[in-house]
Amino acid sequence: MKDYDIIVIGGGHAGIEAASAAARQGFSTLMITQSIDAIGRLSCNPAIGGLAKGNLVREIDALGGEMGRLIDMSQIQFRMLNKSRGPAVQAPRAQADKFTYSRNAKELMEHTKNLELFMDTVVDLLTEDGKIIGVVTERGWKISSRAVVLTTGTFMEGRIFIGEYDAPCGRLGEMAAQGLGKALREKGFDVGRMKTGTPARVAASSLDFDEMEIQPGDEEIVPFSFMNDEIDRPQRNCYITYTNEETHKIIRENMHRSPLYGGKIVGKGPRYCPSIEDKVVRFPDRERHQIFVEPEGINTEEMYLNGLSSSLPEEVQRKFMRTLPGLRHCEIMRPAYAVEYDYLNPQELLPSLESKHLENLFIAGQTNGTSGYEEAAAQGLMAGLNAGLKLRGEKPLILSRTEAYIGVLIDDLVTKGTKEPYRMFTSRAEYRLSLRHDNADQRLTRKAYEKGACDKERLERLEEKLIAMECVRELVKSYKERGKNGLALLKEPEITMDYISEHVEKLKEYPSQIRSEVELDIKYSGYLKRQEMEVERFMKNESILIPDDFDYDTLEGLSTESREKLKSIRPHSVGQAQRISGVRVSDIALLMMGLKSNRRAKESEDGSPE
Amino acid sequence: MEAYTTDEPIYALATAFAPSALSVIRTSGDDCIQMISRIFSSKKRLMDAKSKTLVHGYLETLEGERIDEVVLSVYRKGQGYTGEEAVEISAHGSLSGLKRIFRALEEVGFRKAKRGEFTFRAFMHGRMDLTQAEAVEEIISSKSELSQAKALDRLEGRLRSRLEEYREKLIYILSSLEVQLDYAEDEIPEDWIFPEDDVDEMILGLERLLSSYDSSRLYREGAKIVLAGSTNAGKSSLFNLLMKENRAIVSSIPGTTRDYIEAWSNIRGIPVRLFDTAGLRESEDEVESEGIKRSEKLMDEADLILFLVDPLDPKLPEKKRGNMIVIYSKSDIEKRDGLSISSETGDGIEELFDKIEDFLSKGATELDEIVIDSERQKEDIASTLETLRTVRDLRRDTSVDVYALYFQSALETIGAITGEVTNEELLDTLFSKFCVGK
Repeated sequence: MKDYDIIVIGGGHAGIEAASAAARQGFSTLMITQSIDAIGRLSCNPAIGGLAKGNLVREIDALGGEMGRLIDMSQIQFRMLNKSRGPAVQAPRAQADKFTYSRNAKELMEHTKNLELFMDTVVDLLTEDGKIIGVVTERGWKISSRAVVLTTGTFMEGRIFIGEYDAPCGRLGEMAAQGLGKALREKGFDVGRMKTGTPARVAASSLDFDEMEIQPGDEEIVPFSFMNDEIDRPQRNCYITYTNEETHKIIRENMHRSPLYGGKIVGKGPRYCPSIEDKVVRFPDRERHQIFVEPEGINTEEMYLNGLSSSLPEEVQRKFMRTLPGLRHCEIMRPAYAVEYDYLNPQELLPSLESKHLENLFIAGQTNGTSGYEEAAAQGLMAGLNAGLKLRGEKPLILSRTEAYIGVLIDDLVTKGTKEPYRMFTSRAEYRLSLRHDNADQRLTRKAYEKGACDKERLERLEEKLIAMECVRELVKSYKERGKNGLALLKEPEITMDYISEHVEKLKEYPSQIRSEVELDIKYSGYLKRQEMEVERFMKNESILIPDDFDYDTLEGLSTESREKLKSIRPHSVGQAQRISGVRVSDIALLMMGLKSNRRAKESEDGSPE
Repeated sequence: MEAYTTDEPIYALATAFAPSALSVIRTSGDDCIQMISRIFSSKKRLMDAKSKTLVHGYLETLEGERIDEVVLSVYRKGQGYTGEEAVEISAHGSLSGLKRIFRALEEVGFRKAKRGEFTFRAFMHGRMDLTQAEAVEEIISSKSELSQAKALDRLEGRLRSRLEEYREKLIYILSSLEVQLDYAEDEIPEDWIFPEDDVDEMILGLERLLSSYDSSRLYREGAKIVLAGSTNAGKSSLFNLLMKENRAIVSSIPGTTRDYIEAWSNIRGIPVRLFDTAGLRESEDEVESEGIKRSEKLMDEADLILFLVDPLDPKLPEKKRGNMIVIYSKSDIEKRDGLSISSETGDGIEELFDKIEDFLSKGATELDEIVIDSERQKEDIASTLETLRTVRDLRRDTSVDVYALYFQSALETIGAITGEVTNEELLDTLFSKFCVGK
């Protein structure tokens, strides 16, 4: 008898989703975390969502996850981003009260049925016959389980850097988890180093707000969770200021004191979220860089300086920060720092996020080389869900690139791996027009329900919504103008749902969310059709499956490089094989021919006709 | 898919099967060096030969009877054209000698290659991309030197580099769109501006590439030239002259002499298919009138009609056509104004060739222009062009996500020729060109 069905290592955003997904399926689950107070902590920016990331949050919610509800309960500013750049790619983003967010997260975990919390540090994994059977903790506990989900974030052999200072921490002031990285290296896992950073927090009372631009939130707040109809929360402003030549000069003069440029940090940092040093070096012609000043919560003095992440010494940070309008008198409460940590090559994972090395070990979050709360949570959810499905003897839930950003995320990770912290972008999704944030429930909730990942109430809400949308469509259709009905009219750029609602009183009885979703469906129907054709083409190769036991050594003529890659990644379809970088077209042609003759041989063995 | 294989030893004649000073036979496949050593005089030297070296000696039958003095070019695995172990045999080009070599090769286990199989193997072993593979195909099947030059040109990737230029443009445009979609309005506040000039330039360029398809078809398939005119106007004499002058081969003679005769030839390097029609005159004879019908159909399809007129019995064409050159024949008997030739003396023939060349290259692209030759490339280019035209005609207040959709699809179709563009490549461009990130 095992102590638990599933152990989740880590209480960050991946850990929260993994633990609750496992517990929701009825498995006895244990979350082991280094600090119970740190559950659900927002270590970097005080915000959830954003472009593509907002879509991830809504997908997580549609699949029964927690992140959407947590941010709805703690947000202090809401904005729908990129409304002007196309309705299909707009996404929600909310500033969070950090302290409310993590307190709610902890309470949620505490009150989750089948879930227990335990404070300790895991230092090794227990294995038997290529399977994981439990964990060993720093204080000497051996806890057994049938499956383990590993979500260590930046803590595995973490080290922070501030100028010449460095210390073994996962976050400033929090000890790194030492030992596990080494143990995994010894077990043959492909372990690498990555780097990320966070800017300084300054005291609100030391800022000159009248020198900065105000950035208010939207009037209309759209809930992240499909379970919420509306949000009533106190709102706060953000502020915008800019660096200048003086700032850049100070940074340039002190560049040699940055551990990034001095060679102390070996891990690769993200290009999309560069430190201010990076920006100054890489774009020397830019006269200024935009900095966002964001509150960390309602009742806190701490303000987050978005865009000023740095690993320069503290006195240099203070000096250059004080050149910015609004920050001339700023007092630093927490310095900016860089953190370097162990990550595991995600190419060693199956699309279910189960390790190829160790059966029943699932890995999620920053451990897999990603960055961002949302990316972590999405993986955590899938890992927890699939760990449960595995224990139930069911097929894993693998989302396709065509149906969810989560599908894109995981396929990218396990197929291509990543050299820098992986962040979700809309441009990573080929079929993003249909991956809108507002239709995530339509895309995913039914699937989740069938796998036991979400409750009936969620499905019922989806069904109600679908009925409402149908009614809206009928009402739109009933409107006539210039001999056209409302559906045809809505396709014209000048005609909006609001305009039609002015003429069809009854439409106003429906929530604006429902109306806007119908409006987008109609307005984009032409483009969606175009995209559907591409999806079909894409699915052709996705549907040519490669048997798990396919022997690449029998394929003559494969290049050595391709053979090695195919053997280690073991793609499940020709489509996935095609996406492995460095695998040549000719090798794919060979593979397809090989699969064909393989199938023929099998069929003739079975004696069944083709 | 044709049942091509790789690594199985194959051979094929790389030069024309015609009497010539030198012929080259290619072989490729596993152990082909060892297999050839069995029918080669200096077995050890061949077996020890380093890759990309020459070995001189004699090919023999298995019984040791000398066939021909040859030079072997040896390629170890991974080095030759196909990427497989390979030997190229340079032999003397006597037909009977070649046939004996083939027999000997088959005796030691080679099989005759299927059409395009060497190219297929080269492609399968990653030795060349699809564009290059098609060009090689074409060299093999090209009908004249000029056509060959064009194919060679493309082999060097000129089409590729032009398309590569457009591809890079599209990547840049798309990344400038993607940066707007990947980052929020407050991070990248600048609005996207439609790159009118770049798009117009690409549309123009692709249109020209596309129109080159038709002219290059002449080089690939040969220009259809129909000889017409009344009986005894001298069609057959001219036909024979053209064949003789240019060593044409009468490849097929369908129907009867009352129908038409077809032959391959080339005029000033342009491959032509010559058709000698039956006399165009009214006839009660059923067979003949059938022939006339066919002749007229031929003329409708012709790229060029040479209408011959007998100066002694001048019958001008009833219907003038734009692609018709009227020629007076028998200038040795009676010389008329206008183009006048004699198939007997060769008088006026050069002038005729000038005219034919002028006509066929009219509207055709210059020789140093890039041309596209395959149906597949044509389709991909046409669809890229179509997408770019659509995007050009979109309302300028269309949102950027829709613009991105079209540019993405243009990039995909052009990528089908030059090689796919991955999302990573886009992000690389995006990160290197735009200062992004909070």
